[in-house]
Amino acid sequence: MKLTTRELTLCAVLTAMALALSYLESFFPLSLAIPIPGIKLGLANIVTLFALYALGPGQALMILLARCLLGAVFAGNMSALIFSVLGGVTAMVVMILLSRCGRLSIYGVSVGGAAAHSCGQVAAAVLTLGNTAPIYYLPVLLGVSLFTGALTGLIAACLFRALAHTALMKG
Amino acid sequence: MKYRARSFAALSLALMLSACGSSQPETLSILAMDTAMTFSVYGDDADTVLSDASLEVRRLDALLSRTNPESAVTHLNAGDQIQVGEEVCGLIAAAQEYSAATEGAFDITLAPVSTAWGFTTDSYQVPSQEELDALLAHVGMEHIHLTEDTATLDPGTQIDLGAIAKGYASDQLGALFQRSGVERGWVSLGGNVLAWGSRPDGDPWEVGIQDPAHPDESSALVCSLFLQDAFAVTSGSYQRYFEQDGKRYHHILDPKTGAPAESGLVSVTVVADYAPGNGTMCDALSTALFVMGEEDALSFWRSGTYDFELVLVTEDGRVLVTEGLADRYAPAEGSTYVFETVS
Amino acid sequence: MSLKPSPKLHPVGWDLLVVIAVVILAVSVGIGLLGTSESGPLTAVISADGQPEERVVLSSLTEPEERVLHSGGYTLHLVLSADGVEMTTSDCPTQECVHTGKITRSGQSIVCLPARVIVTLEGGAPASGPDVVIG
Repeated sequence: MKLTTRELTLCAVLTAMALALSYLESFFPLSLAIPIPGIKLGLANIVTLFALYALGPGQALMILLARCLLGAVFAGNMSALIFSVLGGVTAMVVMILLSRCGRLSIYGVSVGGAAAHSCGQVAAAVLTLGNTAPIYYLPVLLGVSLFTGALTGLIAACLFRALAHTALMKG
Repeated sequence: MKYRARSFAALSLALMLSACGSSQPETLSILAMDTAMTFSVYGDDADTVLSDASLEVRRLDALLSRTNPESAVTHLNAGDQIQVGEEVCGLIAAAQEYSAATEGAFDITLAPVSTAWGFTTDSYQVPSQEELDALLAHVGMEHIHLTEDTATLDPGTQIDLGAIAKGYASDQLGALFQRSGVERGWVSLGGNVLAWGSRPDGDPWEVGIQDPAHPDESSALVCSLFLQDAFAVTSGSYQRYFEQDGKRYHHILDPKTGAPAESGLVSVTVVADYAPGNGTMCDALSTALFVMGEEDALSFWRSGTYDFELVLVTEDGRVLVTEGLADRYAPAEGSTYVFETVS
Repeated sequence: MSLKPSPKLHPVGWDLLVVIAVVILAVSVGIGLLGTSESGPLTAVISADGQPEERVVLSSLTEPEERVLHSGGYTLHLVLSADGVEMTTSDCPTQECVHTGKITRSGQSIVCLPARVIVTLEGGAPASGPDVVIG
């Protein structure tokens, strides 16, 4: 994949934004309302969605991996990396497939991604703990992902509308 | 960074399992103090608490066992001049108190008599009256001389803390649970139960009392008690016995005769709220009240010397429940016993 | 930068399919978990003196299985079946383990003091009986 300077810059900015959103999210701990480890709004998914449509799957994946790696480095816990990577990549794969089929709106893709993210995280938990106990959280996580997915879809849709007539989208 | 990563992993593990930990207990069964013990603990630290509990019970076993050649009690019985320590002395002092309160129905100096019957060695025999009389001369709490941390026995006197050690162990486990912040769980130490907190659904623990008529069937019960933060201890003639020439000899000996107590009771259960020392009390009283028999046991209960409740099972098939338990028990399904509430 | 096909920015009927798929997945995982009950399948925990604890998931046994335990100088024969555990023979002096008969419910145990063997049952359908038995 050959990137133009413009694209590379955009990727860097989006990665920074995704990291900022992850940080912002920590001020609204959803886990206080629903006491389940790993539960969160998934605001960084907005960036993934945007990158997927605006830049393409390859770039979106690069942003995702950079975000996971840098996030783990900044937070100082590398063991969280497997959770975010497995969750993020599963979500990415599902979103690529769903967006390819062309019939779904950004909402459908976002909800599918959020649900896939939950599955990926639970799989990571099962793998690292060597215990199937985390599967008990899956139904609740999936239910919550309907709402968080719709929310990130809504924000991403707003973003596209706002940017529709800017130079950014017109290339 | 490595440390943080590890602590994060530990934390997330604890979080992941916490929801299960609160509804599913960790259990551990061990053999100690000549009996099978089970500990069941709910909560995140259950594993640590279980291993601490098992260590504590083994420590007490090594300290108090009459059969362990290195225990403080063995040295004491051998006439050695050793400092047995405050813990053993405190336990002997408690035994003296319960012996005095029950007018000698509880007596830890019965050890040589119990050995003569073979109850400590499993080689059962019926000793002659002369033999028993000779041994009984050395029985009696006045043969123990106690200071704060030393104890000495008159020649010929031996002690066995077996009738109080498991109760003391349950007290120690209660203290451990409190220290460790255990919210709920139970321990069963061969006839001694500590019901800690409540069941996960908020109901009290259901503690079954074994049917003395069917001691080997774990599902044969007299009744169930519904207990929360309480000790319950059962002494029964069915727990250890042997038969010779068609006659049954059980292990609860009457200090006055040196022979198995014939009090008309087959099982005595003493129940008390959780408080430090109450486990020991229940254990001592269950033995003493068995020896005393129905009438004396009930008047002892009425005297209010100690705060406890009783379930007595008689030879003629009656079950007497004291009024403090009236709304905390349920006869077993299909039970043929006749239940009476006593006040 | 080449423009990708702009996404549909309003929810469409097909989105509902995704929602339904997620709901079906959540519900079926939930039902699957309830079916196994929270405490897991009926499991026998066999501990013999000085040997590592062995756990056998009974509900996965299709036919009874016999175990020979050598512990504390005695030989014990344990029969595991899908619905419970029974000590069939033992050369221990007390025979209490054999007299205990078959245990079938979570929380029940077979104990052989001379051989220092404990077999306990865990999991299975929530037991309706008492939590613990004294005596």
